Amino acid sequence: MTGFRPPGLRVRSRGLRGRIAITFGAGALLIAGTLGSSTFYFARAYLYDQRERTVVRQASLDAVFVSDQLDSVAADIPDVLSAAGPPESGTIVLEQAGQWYSSSLGIGRDVVPAQLRESVDAGRPAHITVTLDGFPTVIVGIPLPRTGANFYCVVRLRELRDTIRILQIVLTTGAAMAAAGGIALGTWASRRVVQPLNLVAATAAEIAGGRLDTRLPPTDDPDLATIVGSFNAMVDTLRQRIERDSRFAADVSHELRSPLTTLVAAVDIMQGRRGELPERSKVALDLVNAELDRFQQLLDSLLTLARTEDGLDPDRLGAVSMAELAAHALERAGVGPERLRSADPGVVLGDRALLERALLNLIENAQRHGQGVTAVRVERQHDDVAVLVDDQGPGVPVGERERIFERFATNRAARGSSSGTGLGLALVARTVTAHGGTVWCTEQPGSGARFVIRLPAGSAVEP
Amino acid sequence: MPTRLLIVEDDDRIRAVMRLGLEDEGYEIVEADRAEAALSQVRAWTPDVMIVDLMLGAVDGFTCIREVRKISDVPIIVVSARADTHDVVAGLEAGADDYVTKPFQIKEISARLRALRRRATSGTAGADQGGARSDLVLDFRRTLVLSTAAGTVRLGDDPILLTLTEFQLLAELAATPGVVLSRGSLLERVWDHGFYGDERLVDAHVRRLRTKIERDPANPELVVTVRGMGYRLDRR
Repeated sequence: MTGFRPPGLRVRSRGLRGRIAITFGAGALLIAGTLGSSTFYFARAYLYDQRERTVVRQASLDAVFVSDQLDSVAADIPDVLSAAGPPESGTIVLEQAGQWYSSSLGIGRDVVPAQLRESVDAGRPAHITVTLDGFPTVIVGIPLPRTGANFYCVVRLRELRDTIRILQIVLTTGAAMAAAGGIALGTWASRRVVQPLNLVAATAAEIAGGRLDTRLPPTDDPDLATIVGSFNAMVDTLRQRIERDSRFAADVSHELRSPLTTLVAAVDIMQGRRGELPERSKVALDLVNAELDRFQQLLDSLLTLARTEDGLDPDRLGAVSMAELAAHALERAGVGPERLRSADPGVVLGDRALLERALLNLIENAQRHGQGVTAVRVERQHDDVAVLVDDQGPGVPVGERERIFERFATNRAARGSSSGTGLGLALVARTVTAHGGTVWCTEQPGSGARFVIRLPAGSAVEP
Repeated sequence: MPTRLLIVEDDDRIRAVMRLGLEDEGYEIVEADRAEAALSQVRAWTPDVMIVDLMLGAVDGFTCIREVRKISDVPIIVVSARADTHDVVAGLEAGADDYVTKPFQIKEISARLRALRRRATSGTAGADQGGARSDLVLDFRRTLVLSTAAGTVRLGDDPILLTLTEFQLLAELAATPGVVLSRGSLLERVWDHGFYGDERLVDAHVRRLRTKIERDPANPELVVTVRGMGYRLDRR
């Protein structure tokens, strides 16, 4: 399976920027390293070659000199050697009839490789480069046939070694600096590359936060134009989708209104002519009437839910007296005003129609499922205005107390009722939340359920 | 004499059921399914009251109301599919007097019609009484005069054409100059709605009234808004 990694082996990703920087660095190192090492090897070979030629030429001259010296006088060989040349030009080693002589101490027959000796013994001049005591050393062998001696010249390339070492250091440092430069360039480039991505991320976050009007600014960059275009098109689609969804409930309710209008009005007319109907038709008419009422409530609730989903309409906000609203809602629900207890709790800033609907829903809920409202209290609780609706029913089980505020959560079997739309409490919750308040269900000290709405109190003058 | 009602509605069935129900209530009804037909009926038949659906065909209800208002101040009730949209406000600002939302009950629409008719007839009854106190100067400099007896408002010698509702709104405010009237009490007094009716009715009609009587409707000097409380009429 692609993309799967066992949990234990998870490697922390370096991220796009890290990868770009490292790629640049590695590339720079590879190029600088290849260039540096080839430069090094060619330069070293050239320098060696040059020095070897010089050494061989010098050695040939020395060999002629030594040969002449040995020829002219039956001279002392060590004297000849010490006269042959300055010590810095090398050490001269001479072999004559199995006897070895050297112009400096510590260098003698041992340093001359057997291979070279064989060649010189056979009468062929030769030279070889070896490493001696850590220094590159050129050893030149020249047979001197007139004197029956073999001439060797051992030259340490001390300064060549230093030159090569410096060259090595310079090239290595250069490669390292190129790599560092590559990483720096990569970091800069990756930041440039990631910059538009950061903008995309910020814009996406804004859109996720609900500001669906946000778009990426248009760009002339042909590489980015595609991304920007696709992104903005995606947001457009998303926005249309969201708007379509939130309009859907409203549209459905709206489309259902025309047939419902005819139905409601027609039933109304039949109700007006009840007297003309036989008994069984009256019962049927009442059923149709009751269901139409419920249907209408359902539509209203759906529409109101869809509306509150978009937040409150600022045009409809005003100072609302919850005590007055509660009195009115009780009246509309057909409950006597003596159940209301209120002690001037102040006003809240809100949509009066929505808040009254919410109160009415709570009262109707108590009437329907709680065997009747026992009390509605409107009181001040610190900075909030609270409305408490008590009933005398069996109460709501603890596990159900959150769920009953969801849509269509009405548990019909438990409540034994077919009235209600299943949206009443959902609408209460939505309305209260939209007003910045909270609603919950609890129990009274005696028996029965208690529904509590708390809304932040507003000042009386501000509309 | 039965009240003559013109129903402007493009849905055949809703029109049929309205006719059924409102004929039971004793109205004499003529139907129109398009704005153009409605206009010619207003000219030819001169209805006492109109019901206009805002969702008409080619020419919408708003245009229909505006056209009607050019030739008649007949009371108009608009029918809207949604109470929460701006349609209602737009309908009221086009010149409608009241509104109902679909689905409505016949008795609801009938009650609104009766309230409108009552106001219309009491307006004429008031005109018969006459009386010295009935003329009230609202603006001395521009000689804007409200005559409750005649049911007119005049600016100098020119009459200002107000609809019934606009006139009654102005009369209510002018009855207690300098006193703030809440939207709720205006709803009760002018529209016969309960105190908890739709306050947008009041706001829309105040806006229309201002365009007709204020010197600068954007900066009203006569009908003044009192934030969070209501409206007040200041005589000048």
